[in-house]
Amino acid sequence: MSIDLKKEVEDWLDANWDTANGREVGAESYDEKSWMKKVVDAGYAVPTWPEKWFGRGLSPKDARPIDKAFQSRGAKGWGRDRYHLGAITIYKLGSDELKTELLYELLTGPICCLLYSEPGAGSDLAGVRTRAIKDGDDFVVNGQKVWTSNAVEAEYGMLLTRTDIDAPKHKGITFFIFPMKQDGVEVRPINQITGEDEFNEVFISDARVPERFIIGTLNQGWKSFQTAIASERLIMGQGITSRLRGAAGKAPALLELAYKHSKLKDPVLRQEIAQALAYRQLNAMNMLRAKEEMMKSGSSPLASLGKLAMSRIQHGEAKISAKILGPQVLLSETEDSRNANFDAAKAYMNSIGGGTDQIQKNIIAERVLGLPKSSDVSRDIPFKDVKSG
Amino acid sequence: MGEQLSMSEFSPEDRQAIRESFEKLLSDTANEESLRQVIETESGFDKALWQQIAEMGLTGIMIDPDNGGVGGSIEEVEPLMEVAGAFLYNGPFISTCVIAPVLLAACADKELAGPHLENIASGQSIFAIAGCGKSGDWTEASNVTVTNKGDDWELTGSAHFVTHARNADYCIVRGKEGLFLVDMTESSVKLNPHSTDDQTLRVSSIDFNGASAKKLGGVGAAEFGQALNMGLIALAGEQVGATRRIFDLTIEYLITRFQFGQPIGRFQALKHMAAELLIEVESSSTAARHAARALAARSPLSQELTYLAAFTCADNFRKTAADAIQLFGGIAYTMEHPAHLYWRRAQTGQWLFASSDKFRDLYLTEMEAKL
Repeated sequence: MSIDLKKEVEDWLDANWDTANGREVGAESYDEKSWMKKVVDAGYAVPTWPEKWFGRGLSPKDARPIDKAFQSRGAKGWGRDRYHLGAITIYKLGSDELKTELLYELLTGPICCLLYSEPGAGSDLAGVRTRAIKDGDDFVVNGQKVWTSNAVEAEYGMLLTRTDIDAPKHKGITFFIFPMKQDGVEVRPINQITGEDEFNEVFISDARVPERFIIGTLNQGWKSFQTAIASERLIMGQGITSRLRGAAGKAPALLELAYKHSKLKDPVLRQEIAQALAYRQLNAMNMLRAKEEMMKSGSSPLASLGKLAMSRIQHGEAKISAKILGPQVLLSETEDSRNANFDAAKAYMNSIGGGTDQIQKNIIAERVLGLPKSSDVSRDIPFKDVKSG
Repeated sequence: MGEQLSMSEFSPEDRQAIRESFEKLLSDTANEESLRQVIETESGFDKALWQQIAEMGLTGIMIDPDNGGVGGSIEEVEPLMEVAGAFLYNGPFISTCVIAPVLLAACADKELAGPHLENIASGQSIFAIAGCGKSGDWTEASNVTVTNKGDDWELTGSAHFVTHARNADYCIVRGKEGLFLVDMTESSVKLNPHSTDDQTLRVSSIDFNGASAKKLGGVGAAEFGQALNMGLIALAGEQVGATRRIFDLTIEYLITRFQFGQPIGRFQALKHMAAELLIEVESSSTAARHAARALAARSPLSQELTYLAAFTCADNFRKTAADAIQLFGGIAYTMEHPAHLYWRRAQTGQWLFASSDKFRDLYLTEMEAKL
């Protein structure tokens, strides 16, 4: 079956994708929307979903030849059943009406942005204060979101709002798929610690979202949100943000750096470098085991460890890179030095973003190890009485 | 090399069944109470249990069926060692059933090796391996000198940190040139049992004063290196099992121990230690199993993965057992509590074959080959 599929995908790509020029066959230039429609129509964007929802009903294992064929030709659009958080969430939690209305548009458009964190609700996300108040068939939204990537391009955002301030914090939240291209939505880039500005603040003033765009049920948004955040953490654990990852079979980048700067004779650094490489290799092997276990039984306790493990790896490697460079690292005049300083700052993205390491440890202790939940003094009181600041 | 390195014919179900019956045997006869009794005896060894293990076919796990074994590979041994480690089982499994069979199977003199393999499989013979001098490092050159005397050889010098030597019938000695088989009852073999901090794993030094020995023909540095790799993975497996058991006991305590009117596992300070340990526990499992699979399949990555498993499993066992004592608190600062048994065995594991730091360095050397 997979052999047939492999040939089918390859033939289809040969007929439709111009690998040399990185565009559709016969097109003047790459048109993302047009290409995505073709990929979705062929069932290659979300092959593990049923045909009714633009898929092929394949198991993740059987679908693999599709990703491989697309990747080897540099064609986009594969793996949206794993990476398009908005579409995945609507597919998993949306009503059939909502799926019919939005799923195709989401799959063929840019990925959705995540409107979760607020200045007053980071790790304690259930404390969101962005209000959504019903007005006819719509809700009117007012509030401020932060740490939103892709906010400029995104056509839709996944929005966490407060809809009942008299209920306890987890019970008055509603989760929306929210149209970004409207008056009342203002996006301002954040100047980050690394000098990058991939994240934004999003100011929402009297913006509107139809009631039928609720993901899940009114005031039950916290539950729906858990599904979405689980997919996000899974993606982060694979360490796709790391530059030092290096390619398979090649010497790890940290080792290259030590070699280049003649530090492989230093016995103390050797120990530190070896341990850093070991942590990275062990995490990669753990994630492989997680994949195997998930294919076999649908879940793996290892999956939730990846993001936490990646923090130790990235902070550790950045620290060792600086030791390899010595005082040269103070000067921003070489590429190695700039990279080392960039990586040291960037490591915080993994250890803070998507839930801090400390929150992640609570989650692992409670959900994987079965330790009792920590108490939250604001858990059972009406949200309007919760202290914030 | 011997047939036991060929691709395994055991199915996952076979392995599971072997593992479960071994687990049953040890939980019946080698629980903490039995262990504490055994380590008080002079031999420190439960001979009757060894016979039971032999009757299950496990002493011959890596021995070819032609020699009375079951023809398994290191991939079958690793999960068994996880079981052994969970109980801190202290029989001579690694020396007798892993390293000795690999060296004997590699021996060109089948008439010499065959009967020994059969006696290991039947549980009759116990082997010690003398692999190092005072440094404790099996990767360094030997200082036992050898002299040819007709068909036999004479060994002079001393071996150190030899496990299970007190109960061994034979010892395979790493000499300056090759590997040699010595009968432990020889009068020129002088055994010096040491007192050890870890009662569950005893070590001796052995003086060879012109001891008569047979040479294992055809067994050179490469074969010894391969046997050492097998031993390292077996030890890593043992450490994985022990790590997971002491970790599980600790988590259970965090849930059942109440202070300040609540289970102590609700406090974040303890939760965070537990979550951090889980990464180490799982990494150890992954490392040992990966290395076993790679070595059984003769993968080019097997040397790198063996060193990785060696220091990872040793260090993670040490950290988990040490943190376990801290997490248990006062109750674990007693001889009655099992935590110190795991912690002491973990300390021992830091130094068997070579130090964790040495294996970490050797791992980096393997990685440097990719530059």
